[in-house]
Amino acid sequence: MDIDDNKPIVSFENVGLRYGLGPEVLQDVTFSLAPGSFHFLVGESGAGKSSLLKLIYLALKPSRGLISLFGRDIATTPRRELPAMRRRVGVVFQEFRLLNHLSAFDNVALPLRVAGAKKSDIQKHVVELLSWVGLKDHLDARPPTLSGGQQQRVSIARAVIARPRVLLADEPTGNIDDRMGLRLMHLFEELNKLGTTVVIATHNSRLVERMGHPKMLLDEGWLEIVGGRAPGESQAPAHKKEFSETVLADTFSDVDDDAPGAPPDFEKLI
Amino acid sequence: MFTRRSDLPLDKDALSRFLPWLIAFMVFLAVLALAGMLVLNSTAERWDQGVSGTLTIQIIPAANPEDDNGRLQKVLAILNRTPEIDHYETLSDDKLLRLLEPWLGAQAGTHDLPLPRLIDVELKADSKLDGETLSRRLAAEVPGASVDDHRVWLSRLVRLIQTVQGLASMVLVFIAFATVGTVVFTTRTGLAIHRSAIEVLHLIGAQDSYVAGQFSSRALILGLKGGIIGLLLAGPTLFAIGHLARQIESSLLPTITLEPAHWAALGALPLVVALIAMMTARLTVLKTLSRML
Ligand SMILES: Nc1ncnc2c1ncn2[C@@H]1O[C@H](COP(=O)(O)OP(=O)(O)O)[C@@H](O)[C@H]1O
Ligand SMILES: [Mg+2]
Repeated sequence: MDIDDNKPIVSFENVGLRYGLGPEVLQDVTFSLAPGSFHFLVGESGAGKSSLLKLIYLALKPSRGLISLFGRDIATTPRRELPAMRRRVGVVFQEFRLLNHLSAFDNVALPLRVAGAKKSDIQKHVVELLSWVGLKDHLDARPPTLSGGQQQRVSIARAVIARPRVLLADEPTGNIDDRMGLRLMHLFEELNKLGTTVVIATHNSRLVERMGHPKMLLDEGWLEIVGGRAPGESQAPAHKKEFSETVLADTFSDVDDDAPGAPPDFEKLI
Repeated sequence: MFTRRSDLPLDKDALSRFLPWLIAFMVFLAVLALAGMLVLNSTAERWDQGVSGTLTIQIIPAANPEDDNGRLQKVLAILNRTPEIDHYETLSDDKLLRLLEPWLGAQAGTHDLPLPRLIDVELKADSKLDGETLSRRLAAEVPGASVDDHRVWLSRLVRLIQTVQGLASMVLVFIAFATVGTVVFTTRTGLAIHRSAIEVLHLIGAQDSYVAGQFSSRALILGLKGGIIGLLLAGPTLFAIGHLARQIESSLLPTITLEPAHWAALGALPLVVALIAMMTARLTVLKTLSRML
């Protein structure tokens, strides 16, 4: 799929969403995300953050308005072409949504399998990435046997394994402490530096203020973009580090278990 | 046997737990019904072929036994003159006694009892000759000679068998419907708890056919497992029934056997059922997916 780096990667025009015959939970939402941008999606619980993300990852159809992803109007894209678009969007679901009957390895391997990647590549990259998030010793563990934090890391690994162009995370810091939350944010920033467009829904305002990225503010279905830098400007935060062992070690060093391995070679994937 | 990873109760979902056993049960019933129908089928056919072109001529023993042979020769002379007759055979006393064994017992001696003479007559394939015509012709010349037309009672027997056969087919059809219904219902129920997994695969960017393939291949394996168990249970049952039938078998009953083609049909049942499970899983998943964007 060709992606024009100058066109917005996601754009909403007057998007409205209602569930069934209920009230509009999103009203006239209009915004666009430049490739490589980093946004926080903030708002009270029930403001419509999850709903907005679902529209972006093509889980829902808007009731009205226009959504385009990678420059293509979703409404006119044939259904059979949507899976390929979804594969370019990595999602960290609010409840992780790991498949309990599959091992950690198989959960993370899913996006690659679905995309038809080679078996040897899958083996290599999944082991790499799981080692990297400190789960080298849990490759065969089923999600229910893992702690909440470990499950979260599996779900993040699954979201990024296929090197998505867009990474969406729905309250990824919901059930971890601030320090761990901050580390997670740094991880997302590293991915962002590699060109991934990132949107993180959260209602942890302290975290948002510390990071200094633009905010998409949702209030009772209305969206407003505030703060941040002008489009085109570098999104890189002050502390500049390579996407390297240091960052990874920093991110998950004292989490538990195994020492982090080398960073996965994202460029080789897909 | 069905729990590869018994450490996790989550793995024992309804699909893996119930589908094989329900299928095993349905296949068991279907195999028995199908076997019964096939046996009846070949029995009726054999009786129809074996006896419908034949008559039996009976010559009641006369008061004076010396006359018997002369009367027999007269009857045979008439038979020789009748063009519709393909061939005939006079039954020896030994054979006659063997035929009578079920009624008289093995001890019945030749001398205790005046035996009738019996002649098996085989008619030509397209013969229109009926028992009554021949009977009148014989009685005119040889008193005490009568014709036993098998076709009369045999056609009644064959009709009876055909009725039973019809009933068996109906039972088979019902079992087939019940099997299909059970497999469809269990597969669907089993998949309902995987709805979330189906959705996750969908959102990760799997094509519908990929998701359907994941579940249909699983249903195929579970269906095969169940089908083979059902067949394995039905096999000994069939042999036991066959064994019992052979024990009570007398000269009255034709041998009950299944031909290789019949065994093949029975052996194919698990596969058929597994394929139904697979198709159901596939269609169910595709239907679930079609409701998603
Ligand atoms: N599947 C649904 N069916 C009906 N209403 C829903 C559904 N999902 C969310 N809502 C409603 O939409 C509104 C926004 O929900 P959500 O997007 O989950 O908000 P947030 O993620 O910001 O907490 C809420 O009022 C919620 O009750
Ligand atoms: Mg939410």
